[in-house]
Amino acid sequence: MSDATDHNLPEDELLAAEYALGVLAGPQRAAAQRLLERDRNFAELVAAWEARLAPWAGEIAEVAAPPAVWERIAGALPAPQPQGGGLWQNLAFWRGLSLASGALAAACLGALIYLGSVAPKAPLIAALDGDGKHAFVATIDLRRGAILVVPAAYAVAADRVPELWLIAPGDKPRSLGLIHADKAVALTIPAGLLAQATTQAVLAVSLEPPGGSPTGQPTGPVIASGKLTNL
Amino acid sequence: MDADANRSLIVTALARIPGGDRAALQTVYRLTSAKLFGVALRILGERSEAEDVLQEVYVTVWRKAADFDASRASPMTWLIAIARNRAIDRLRATRASRHMEPIDAAAEVADSGPIADSALELTQDHVRLHGCLDGLAAHERAALRGAFFDGNTYDDLAARMSVPLGTMKSWIRRAMIKLKSCLEQ
Repeated sequence: MSDATDHNLPEDELLAAEYALGVLAGPQRAAAQRLLERDRNFAELVAAWEARLAPWAGEIAEVAAPPAVWERIAGALPAPQPQGGGLWQNLAFWRGLSLASGALAAACLGALIYLGSVAPKAPLIAALDGDGKHAFVATIDLRRGAILVVPAAYAVAADRVPELWLIAPGDKPRSLGLIHADKAVALTIPAGLLAQATTQAVLAVSLEPPGGSPTGQPTGPVIASGKLTNL
Repeated sequence: MDADANRSLIVTALARIPGGDRAALQTVYRLTSAKLFGVALRILGERSEAEDVLQEVYVTVWRKAADFDASRASPMTWLIAIARNRAIDRLRATRASRHMEPIDAAAEVADSGPIADSALELTQDHVRLHGCLDGLAAHERAALRGAFFDGNTYDDLAARMSVPLGTMKSWIRRAMIKLKSCLEQ
């Protein structure tokens, strides 16, 4: 751009900037909101401005909200739908998971470079998150090919068993076996899967029929997941 | 690495919401509500109103999580935009504005530097934005601050800085053009 004092942005981009900044009021703000709903190009302009301005919010201090707010949110949600295997077929879920793994891989790249050749056999740990808290904690001893899964806070319905899955980037979930909601379980990682147990992988727990997934792939809802990190 | 891990946790949880996973929404809430409550409180200035807005924000997240595309946007950018817009809608609906004390542009100093923030993974973006804000004229930066942090309208800002409405509009628009140009360099 040459001279920044020129009004050298298109009118719709200026409107997007004004909307994202928040200076519009009344009919102008309402018109921008209607445009946002039906004009994909305008929505992208607004999103780009929101991305430019969002870092400014780093100046705003975090303030803990009172616990009652979450109770009100939970009460305002529609009643839970019974879930079959839907979540595991949900494309958005897998997209998010693989992107998350990608971000993690990028984040860990620096650490790997730093740790050099010492890193590969270091133990791995994952906090498997579900229902807003750590549901299980898993540690992997790569030398022995063993994984220990300790339940932190999770109760399972009597007719379902939790099954542990290893998910490497770009690969389908690989079962590591059944675990328990009320006691620690040590499992052996199959030799063929050991190479996938890296800081780029994610562990997930799904609820399966007694005896485990009949298909070799998760069939029940995911109750917890977490990425592997170096201990 | 904490910020990236945090981001990946938020992205993963957001992706689980369209499947009807309440625990995933609670995870997003646990990781982000303090930041978004801070944002709403800054704009509205009253806790009870900010709490109402926070509730609206997460119900909106529940309904619209499928719209979030992690390959195109940062989750915190998306969430902060929802929080700011719900707070501004509330502000416009209930009263004129707050923070109506006059702004003295001459008293404006260089923009404060980035603050370490666990919820925002945007440290580099912080530095760039602050660098570009410092390149604006003091009155432009003051006007943008009033809009971003106090939810001020053009009318509010014109009153606070004692300039005609048309002048304020051209200040803001010129500042936004400069900002975009600087951020793209």
